[in-house]
Amino acid sequence: MPVSASAIYFLNLRGDVLINRLYRDDVGGNMVDAFRMHIMQTKELGTCPVRQIGGCSFFYMRISNVYVVIVVSGNANVACAFKFVVEAVNLFKSYFGGAFDEDAIRNNFVLIYELLDEIMDFGYPQNLSPEILKLYITQEGVRSPFSSKSADRPVPNATLQVTGAVGWRREGLVYKKNEVFLDIVESVNLLMSSKGVVLRCDVTGKVLMKCFLSGMPDLKLGLNDKIGLEKESELKSRPSKSGKTIELDDVTFHQCVNLTRFNSEKTVSFVPPDGEFELMKYRITEGVNLPFRVLPTIKELGRTRVEVNVKVKSVFGAKMFALGVVIKIPVPKQTAKTSFQVTAGRAKYNAAIDCLVWKIRKFPGQTEPTMSAEIELISTIAEKKSWTRPPIQMEFQVPMFTASGLRVRFLKVWEKSGYNTVEWVRYITKAGSYEIRC
Amino acid sequence: MAPPVHTQRSPSPSQPSGKGEVSDLKMQLRQLAGSRAPGTDDSKRELFKKVILSMTIGIDVSSLFSEMVMCSATSDIVLKKMCYLYVGNYAKGNPELALLTINFLQKDCRDQDPMIRGLALRCLCSLRLANLVEYLVGPLGSGLKDNNSYVRMVAAIGVLKLYHISAATCVDADFPSMLKTLMLNDPDAQVVANCLSALQEIWSLEAGTSEEASREREALLSKPVIYYLLNRIKEFSEWAQCLVLDLVAKYIPSDSNEIFDIMNLLEDRLQHANGAVVLATIKGFLHLTLSMTDVHQQVYERIKAPLLTLVSSGSQEQSYALLSHLHLLVMRAPMLFSLDYKHFYCQYNEPSYVKKLKLEMLTAVANESNTYEIVTELCEYAANVDVPIARESIRAVGKIALQQYDVNAIVDRLLQFLEMEKDYVTAETLVLVKDLLRKYPQWSHDCIAVVGNISSKNVQEPKAKAALIWMLGEYSQDMLDAPYILESLIDNWDDEHSAEVRLHLLTAILKCFFKRPPETQKALGAVLAAGLADSHQDVHDRALFYYRLLQYNVSVAERVVNPPKQAVSVFPDTQSSEIRDRIFDEFNSLSVIYQKPSYMFTDKEHRGSFEFSEDLGSLSVGVESADNISPAQRVEASDNDLLLSTSEEEESRGPSNNGSAYSAPIYDGSSISVVASQTQSEPTFQNRAFPAYALQSNLAIDDLLGLGPQVAPAPAPAPSPPPLNLNARPVLDPSTFQRKWRQVSASLSQEGVITSEGTAALMTPQVLLRHMQGHSIHCIASGGQPPNFKFFFYAQKAEEPVAFYLVECLINTSSAKAQIEIKAEDQSTIHAFSVVFQSALSTFGYQNLGESLV
Repeated sequence: MPVSASAIYFLNLRGDVLINRLYRDDVGGNMVDAFRMHIMQTKELGTCPVRQIGGCSFFYMRISNVYVVIVVSGNANVACAFKFVVEAVNLFKSYFGGAFDEDAIRNNFVLIYELLDEIMDFGYPQNLSPEILKLYITQEGVRSPFSSKSADRPVPNATLQVTGAVGWRREGLVYKKNEVFLDIVESVNLLMSSKGVVLRCDVTGKVLMKCFLSGMPDLKLGLNDKIGLEKESELKSRPSKSGKTIELDDVTFHQCVNLTRFNSEKTVSFVPPDGEFELMKYRITEGVNLPFRVLPTIKELGRTRVEVNVKVKSVFGAKMFALGVVIKIPVPKQTAKTSFQVTAGRAKYNAAIDCLVWKIRKFPGQTEPTMSAEIELISTIAEKKSWTRPPIQMEFQVPMFTASGLRVRFLKVWEKSGYNTVEWVRYITKAGSYEIRC
Repeated sequence: MAPPVHTQRSPSPSQPSGKGEVSDLKMQLRQLAGSRAPGTDDSKRELFKKVILSMTIGIDVSSLFSEMVMCSATSDIVLKKMCYLYVGNYAKGNPELALLTINFLQKDCRDQDPMIRGLALRCLCSLRLANLVEYLVGPLGSGLKDNNSYVRMVAAIGVLKLYHISAATCVDADFPSMLKTLMLNDPDAQVVANCLSALQEIWSLEAGTSEEASREREALLSKPVIYYLLNRIKEFSEWAQCLVLDLVAKYIPSDSNEIFDIMNLLEDRLQHANGAVVLATIKGFLHLTLSMTDVHQQVYERIKAPLLTLVSSGSQEQSYALLSHLHLLVMRAPMLFSLDYKHFYCQYNEPSYVKKLKLEMLTAVANESNTYEIVTELCEYAANVDVPIARESIRAVGKIALQQYDVNAIVDRLLQFLEMEKDYVTAETLVLVKDLLRKYPQWSHDCIAVVGNISSKNVQEPKAKAALIWMLGEYSQDMLDAPYILESLIDNWDDEHSAEVRLHLLTAILKCFFKRPPETQKALGAVLAAGLADSHQDVHDRALFYYRLLQYNVSVAERVVNPPKQAVSVFPDTQSSEIRDRIFDEFNSLSVIYQKPSYMFTDKEHRGSFEFSEDLGSLSVGVESADNISPAQRVEASDNDLLLSTSEEEESRGPSNNGSAYSAPIYDGSSISVVASQTQSEPTFQNRAFPAYALQSNLAIDDLLGLGPQVAPAPAPAPSPPPLNLNARPVLDPSTFQRKWRQVSASLSQEGVITSEGTAALMTPQVLLRHMQGHSIHCIASGGQPPNFKFFFYAQKAEEPVAFYLVECLINTSSAKAQIEIKAEDQSTIHAFSVVFQSALSTFGYQNLGESLV
């Protein structure tokens, strides 16, 4: 951040300060009161995550039941500040074992103080990499990586690691069984008009990895994306095998990926961090295979009755199945009574969100269950106000299916000791915002 | 650091809850202090944890300071860290005790373990106590030369901390040049980054006073430094990369080859997973290519994909920050994004701040080829449950209509909105139809047919009502019942709160009168009567003006009110291109989010080290810039002006009657009542306006400028101006003020009450400040949050001997009380000044209840 953060606060939903760190003196200690008074206790909450009060700017994010607030006094870099909060929360999560909430903060005061001091100094972000920080700040207490007393941890160049020259991996890791897990997780976003026209559709995908590898391995990942394949066939001067190629609109990589090599050879090669991390992110807008089609017909019969028929068609392979399918069909606010039949799963009326919620736990491919419902409405005095129908929303997970068609062609692990590795690859497609207007 | 206020919900048994616990802790710490028994460290850890816990939940444990320091003689790094934390927290409140810690901190700075050296040095620099500065220089100097990078990293920022405590000490010890050497030579990237941060800050702050510093600041942007940093960019952490990239964006390359070299080197940064790095790279690319139009466009094409990816991933807040930047780029070059309009479609569950930006982008990228799709999509949002967004989307449709040539389909859409019969949709649409008619009068037929069917009872919002009335007046010849609708509106004149609506009603009826005299005559009489009796100055004046105009010459009046109109061809842009360029220069910062250049929200001149006491805390010094109107307000303002410009400006060009000659009214019947009411209203007019001018000329001027509150003069007659002349432009800087405040003993305190109108006006303190300035009383600092406000004023006597008057004014708006303390260098005139001050403040309904001289 060209302009540094003056303070960071962690507040609970009532606005009590759980813990804070003032990095600079240029904002008053009572700035948090201003935040509470002008944002938390007004309707402003949720209108905009960046607000200015009395010469200071507040950036805030809600994470579970905690507000994380950064206060700056100058013209700061917003993107950087938010990214910092996200990374810091990830760091805390990795220390607390997954959860980041009010209780976790209350139980880890000392640890959080230590971390806050390490990750930011005088308002400038320092090292936030959990791998490195865990070397000298641990849950059991604090060890010094430089300590000469413990001979069982020979970390010769820990200095370099602490300050981040090879920020993401330390040397001397040993695993009995060398394993790599690779997950391709895609979330498909759809906006369909009531006439069945796709207004907007894209897939944002992530390649997540979990590495349990000894030493300093070099990994190479091959995907069936168009640029990579073309480049390869060009290099090897042979035509690429026929098969589907995917055009990625945009890719971003974890800092471990050698971007120079990606740009020249179009292969993804990297020395992975230990444990879990997100290797790459991509976005695709062309040639998306939608896993579900939704065909709704909603008829308003007179003033007090609505007839709803929804057919959902799964368009992936018959041997595959989707899990946790939830279809939310909106109904008017003044719904009095509902009755429905479904050919699969279970449905109920949820008055809190004004929706019929239809759940199908296991949804095989190439099937088309239907729901037909009849809704009775309370007749109101304000009759002429027509019902503005919100879209139908859908949630699902389809294992072993990628909406983009992306596939892993190879994953090579090379380490100088030449051990064998076991590689696991999984695919899953989830619903992002899957909306069908009706 | 002020410890957070007591916040615990229900302390669990293990947590100390009060005073008893603190003294208990004190005892236990004492016992352990001298002990060397095995296992002492573990029990100390537990105790220290309890102390830290108490500190965090807001229990004051500063009384344990000496015990904590005694216990800190340990080799255990856990204990040391907790002790550092404790010391860092309470040192500021106990500067004398903090001196105790110096010894062991300095010793730790020479420890064998680099970790401890680093931590101790950080703690030492974080004490932020001016009386300890001398102890900092030594450890910092050796820290910068330490063979361990962790210590150097801490030391680099330590230098910056020292600079903020005592700039002179830092510069005298020659630390900046040491940092510079370190920055250019250190093998560790984080050390380099920290040196860079520190140097940037130090030299920017020094640049104002020292030429060398400003040269050094320029040197950071020189070719060797930039190239050195660029070549090492991959070693830096993602945060440090942002820092370097930001510096690169300011670099001015000598030729185009250099530009391409830098861009090639940085291109892969666009694929970085950290959105902040990508954004910083984009900034660099955009700024480097500003002079090369073609390449600049290619850069837009290149950065589009990464930006769109970032916007669609990550948390809402991150995507908002990125979307704001995308918004800026779209606004700069809408054509380049016209094919990507689908990315700006809103999702149902998106927060409204995201939707709002998307709507604006959709509006901007609309062109001949995509208008149909975009307008169709916008129409979907008009039925949105989120009312503000529904309104925005209707406005967006209207804006597109005003941009395009082919408005045929859009007009139909707009008219369909009117059939939705939702109040807010109707309201927004009416305003739009009005604007549309001003630009495309040829559509009047279609629009009028639909507008005529709207019942004026369903339109409540002032802007919409004004628009409807404008159309009724303007097109009264085409709308059968226009005179009758207008007439029914006059019946509710007294219930109509908006002056804008009343003004429009006046004008509309007059317009209608010239088009359909027999039907409107009665209404005209009624409206002029109502207007003349109106308490709003503008309404009253306009009614009077029309009345006299009609008396003077009817045909002239017609020319004034109903001139041939030209269609408005271009509606002015709400933001000047200069401001937009300024924002673009500050890409990747808050300016883009706030949509205004940084000088508008961070004026360093007005903020800074000036603080009177702890309790003032969030004091913002001086008058805030007058430009802090939000863009939306500005739009509204200019809309108003526009509306006025077609209807009123032409009117005001007509010959004006000076009102001395009262000829007999030309219109019989109805106008008799006009005269009657005229004669009635004249005395009240006299009473209200003129004495106000005479008594409180300053207030009246404020009011003319629209700055002053709508406050009636104080019920009691204002005190007569005392024979004290004040210097209109006294000069006093904050530190002198502080010094004088302490020195001057003669003071006068008084308490008083403020009327409710006064407190309402004080919700925006600028009003008060400007008002007082009109009385030669200047504000040096103001602050506080509602309901408590605090102001510091000063004034200077104009005659010899020159003397200052200092005022501290505390106002509580909820209890409507004010406390004033006046100090005067010249005691003999303190009462005279007090009277001046009170009379100035009496505009806000201030009344003195009692005073005491000290």
